[in-house]
Amino acid sequence: MRSFATLLWLEYRRSRTWAAALLGSLFFWWWGLHQVRVVEVGEQLGIRAGLLAMASIVAIIILAIMIGRIRGETRGGQFQVLLLSPPSGYSHLLARFTFAMAVAFIYAVCIGALAAWTGSQAGVIFAARSLVDMMLRLPIYVLGILVAPILAWTILLMVFSGAYRVSSLNWVPGTVMVLATPFVLRHLMEWTIRAFYTLPGWRFLNQFALALFHDANTDIEMYGEIPDVQFLFTASDQYIGFPQEMFWIFLLAAAVMLALAGRIWQEVEA
Amino acid sequence: MLASLEHVTKRYVKNEGLRDLTLGFPAGEVVGVLGLNGSGKSTLLKLLAGLLFPTSGRVSAFGGLPRRNRAKIVFLGENDALWPWMTPADAGYFMRTLYADFDSVRFHELLRGLEVPLRKTKTMSKGERGRLRLAMALARDAKLYLLDEPLAGIDLISREKILSSIVREWHTDETILLSTHEVAEAEGLFERVLYLRDGRLALDVSAESLREQGKSVVDAFREVLT
Repeated sequence: MRSFATLLWLEYRRSRTWAAALLGSLFFWWWGLHQVRVVEVGEQLGIRAGLLAMASIVAIIILAIMIGRIRGETRGGQFQVLLLSPPSGYSHLLARFTFAMAVAFIYAVCIGALAAWTGSQAGVIFAARSLVDMMLRLPIYVLGILVAPILAWTILLMVFSGAYRVSSLNWVPGTVMVLATPFVLRHLMEWTIRAFYTLPGWRFLNQFALALFHDANTDIEMYGEIPDVQFLFTASDQYIGFPQEMFWIFLLAAAVMLALAGRIWQEVEA
Repeated sequence: MLASLEHVTKRYVKNEGLRDLTLGFPAGEVVGVLGLNGSGKSTLLKLLAGLLFPTSGRVSAFGGLPRRNRAKIVFLGENDALWPWMTPADAGYFMRTLYADFDSVRFHELLRGLEVPLRKTKTMSKGERGRLRLAMALARDAKLYLLDEPLAGIDLISREKILSSIVREWHTDETILLSTHEVAEAEGLFERVLYLRDGRLALDVSAESLREQGKSVVDAFREVLT
């Protein structure tokens, strides 16, 4: 436990400039939201929602770069220090992942607050529970289905490239892994969609979701081959909430990737 | 044997780091690992540390794979290997909380003895950083020390401080493998010398037997490797 706290401290010291810059960028996005001067309220809401989506995507990319950077530390020798330190690879990678997820959580809460502000500018009056949904439950859901798997995959890729470098004789598994990812992801997604609403849906946002995501069913048309797909709403427009299967399955996928990366850590040369 | 290599070959993409090397290291030896650039010195030390894995053959330390026994091995690589924001206090915290065999009192004595400034490593000279890294390494109570070029690129005064610290801190049950190009300065340290050439062992000899033949380590270096 003591060594894990040290590894977390190390992550904080290594990456605090990145984390501060990322969290500081929220002021830029807030300023950007203020600059939207379109008169029509619906259009204004759309542009602002687009800006928030862009802020989220940029944040995920920055977080992935933050935890995936390895070349400089390999050249500088710091990676050797980490590899030879007594804590296991699992501890090292979990510390890296935990720190990134903590930054992502703070960022997501702030984005949720900005989204609530954006809604209020469009005349949406939030009940207290909806505010909690926007600033806490929905960000946690997004962290589970999107951020956690992407960051875990980045860590896996980082460790893979350390163990099976393209410049070394063992490059084939790493290349296979990168090329196989889209196929695996598609199958996982399809399997997850088939399992939707086996468990009760999580009814975040309630009626507000009706307005916000009403056309969401059209977004999963690519899975047309899956019969009776339901997402957020039933065929008769009844709000059924967010499918919790997606959250648990993708969180599990992230855990599996981290476990795999922890195991491969033992094979990394430096 | 504290550590050993049995018919070890380490192949990289374009060249071989080591070729069919068999060596054993009992407890309580100070071993000089000497050779020209690219002779396989760093590869040998990294294999014993568990940073590299052999292409063929077997490397063992403390009866198992070196990586598995990494907590018992001190490896001081040729790179700086310190984060630029680190101060000696940070380094002490890092080592104290991760290594059970780290002695904080000894670390502070070494910092004073080696005259390491108490500022961030990014503002230190290469010699100061080298001395800090050595203090971190020698403050551990390990049985196997692998020191890869700790004197490289360091001024004369710092080199003398580093060498005298190694001599002072060495205990008779500890084994030190030290690779260096500063053969003349370090030769008084060695009990045994390994001369490597093109990844092969050119000569494995005790310093005592060299002296009996009326040769110095430097003389043998010139004779064997040039």
